[in-house]
Amino acid sequence: MLMPDIAMAPHTLPTQHQFNPYTENGGTILAIAGADFSVIAGDTRQSEGYNIQTRYAPKVFRLTDRAVLAVNGFAADGNMFVKKVKQRLEWYRHAHGKDMPLRAIARLIQTMLYARRFFPYYVYNILGGIEEDGTGAVYSFDPVGSYEREACRAAGAAQSLVQPFLDNQIYFKNQTAPPDSAHPTHLPLPTVLSIVIDSFTSATERHIEVGDGLEMYIVLARGRNLAGLEGITGMQELTTTQDGERVFVVRRELKKD
Amino acid sequence: MSIMEYNGGSVIAMVGKDCVAIASDLRLGNQALGISSNFQKVFPVTDRIYVGLAGLGTDVITLRERFRYRVNMYTIKEEREIEPETFAHLVSSTLYEHRFGPYFIEPVVAGLSKTPSGGLKPFIAATDLIGCINFAKDFVVSGTASSKLFGLAEGLWEPDLEPEDLFETISQTLLNAVDRDAYSGWGAVVHVLTKDKIISRTLKGRMD
Amino acid sequence: MDHFPTNWGRPRHEGFDAYATYPIHERPYNGPKDAFAAGVQRTQQPIVTGTSVLAIKYKDGIMMAADNLASYGSLARFKDVQRLHSVGSYTVIGAGGDMSDFQYIQKLLDDLITDEFTAQDGHELGPVEIHEYMSQVMYARRSKMNPLWNSLLIGGFKDGKRFLSYVDLLGTTYTASTLATGYGAYIAQPLLRKAVEGKEDTLTEEEARKILEDSMRVLFYRDARSINKFQISTVTSNGVWISDSIHLDTAWSFAEGIRGYGSQTQ
Repeated sequence: MLMPDIAMAPHTLPTQHQFNPYTENGGTILAIAGADFSVIAGDTRQSEGYNIQTRYAPKVFRLTDRAVLAVNGFAADGNMFVKKVKQRLEWYRHAHGKDMPLRAIARLIQTMLYARRFFPYYVYNILGGIEEDGTGAVYSFDPVGSYEREACRAAGAAQSLVQPFLDNQIYFKNQTAPPDSAHPTHLPLPTVLSIVIDSFTSATERHIEVGDGLEMYIVLARGRNLAGLEGITGMQELTTTQDGERVFVVRRELKKD
Repeated sequence: MSIMEYNGGSVIAMVGKDCVAIASDLRLGNQALGISSNFQKVFPVTDRIYVGLAGLGTDVITLRERFRYRVNMYTIKEEREIEPETFAHLVSSTLYEHRFGPYFIEPVVAGLSKTPSGGLKPFIAATDLIGCINFAKDFVVSGTASSKLFGLAEGLWEPDLEPEDLFETISQTLLNAVDRDAYSGWGAVVHVLTKDKIISRTLKGRMD
Repeated sequence: MDHFPTNWGRPRHEGFDAYATYPIHERPYNGPKDAFAAGVQRTQQPIVTGTSVLAIKYKDGIMMAADNLASYGSLARFKDVQRLHSVGSYTVIGAGGDMSDFQYIQKLLDDLITDEFTAQDGHELGPVEIHEYMSQVMYARRSKMNPLWNSLLIGGFKDGKRFLSYVDLLGTTYTASTLATGYGAYIAQPLLRKAVEGKEDTLTEEEARKILEDSMRVLFYRDARSINKFQISTVTSNGVWISDSIHLDTAWSFAEGIRGYGSQTQ
């Protein structure tokens, strides 16, 4: 009989509590790329288990005038990671006298994540912004640096609620276009903003870790007018340079229960 | 490994204007391995009630037969057809009888119930595997894609949909949800119950 | 011989890292190693512990409260311990968790303040800086798998701005207008939110004090690792103030009426 030995083993060893350096802080992030803009959004609730730690802890950060990074997972790792990315981008600025291009930031993030392959940053990253060719772009990462460019991505606690909704509304999955026409490859800005808001109100309704507030960053390509942002109230511009890409942030309330 | 995910599969029901819809995927798997693409999970109970059984495949078959037996007994004893509300409670008590050794099924009930004035009122309900009933006014979901179904239904559903619009809404909800679920998919079936007819359609879905 | 060119100082060639942007702190370490590193004990669990700390914002600044008990498991071991500590002229820090780790933190912060004072550069550390420093220390220690086993509240008032934040052993941080650690997060936080949220700019010192006293009383009734002797601290434009120990009036007569709770004759 093998059973008794195996069953006895745990009892003979002293119980060892190992310090767990990770936790999960809930929340959800999401980004959608347009033809000449990007929208990067996240809720502002930070929680641990059933405790709401705060109703306002930002998960979305402006990196440059053309790049915005959303981080979700273990908040302490997320904040440290953003801090280190910003530091590397500052060094780049000092060395090259310009902001790092979006695709280069994406590769930088993969390198920085993979550098911690054996003690990972427990963070899902979504990078949104404008490429050098003026197109809107979204890059999504796993905690150890696997990444790809996409048109849209959701991550975090309510990823399973939001991502299939985006498949349907952004990629038009399971929808057939009317005869002699095709689905648009990129949606206009007002449509994208509506989908983002709907995604978060839906996630708030059905997921306890999502809610309190919504922060949407909008990055516009160089020279693009403000078409599509007319009806948006409480919008704040965060752009630091002239004649380049422009960054805006919009804040909305979400249900607090 | 969870028994609830052993065979996979998902069910959803939605309320419309004077109509209800219930739909399921058609997959039966052995964990990641697909076994069948025509495994029925939604069954007619009466002319105005359907039940969907998501969970362990063997219990789908057992419970279908058990419900058939109990509904037949009810019809004989009461000399009338069972109402959806009553059937939901029958489902609940059948499951609760096995409180400490449950059937691994989370059923969904959809039907049209008679009102005192002689009209028909949409009814949906779902229970957990030990019979705790959720009487929802909008939609109920069950199965391995339930979180995805919630996300889509919360985004797509609206009140007072006409039968054809309800069909489109439930179909899009189900198809897009199961496409993000490894354990559900391989085709789908939708039933829309209205006061004068039942629309049943089999949908093509992704086969990967 | 150090074989790593990046350790040598300036690059040999301007084409290679002309501005020395190579992350200097990430240079490989080639010095002598501690032969006894494996034998070093790390903090695996807290020993002498403090329980909840509460803090709220009010009209004039912030107010913080913590009781005077340091427990040894379920034993009420030290009953006159200060868990609120002033840092510089603008900040107070309150700690739950391991009290020896907290004393080490107090030493770190006192040394930091001394260093900054010695510089005489016209700068003083405010609560924002103390928070940033503590979050970096706590995160660095958790990343070495050798945490400082504490939940800290940092409160302060500088340049007309209130500041309230939380830092814990994992390096997790956040700010809010009401904060509570330990059991306080479950028991007192809902009471604090109800009493404070939306009223941060109108609550008077007396009202704020009553809110904290009431919360500390509830905690004493329900948290078995607490004591009815605590201190309150305020930080306002007048600086940091930490009260003497306050004894709470509690009522237990209701227990007489509950069967199985108080002493019953039959």
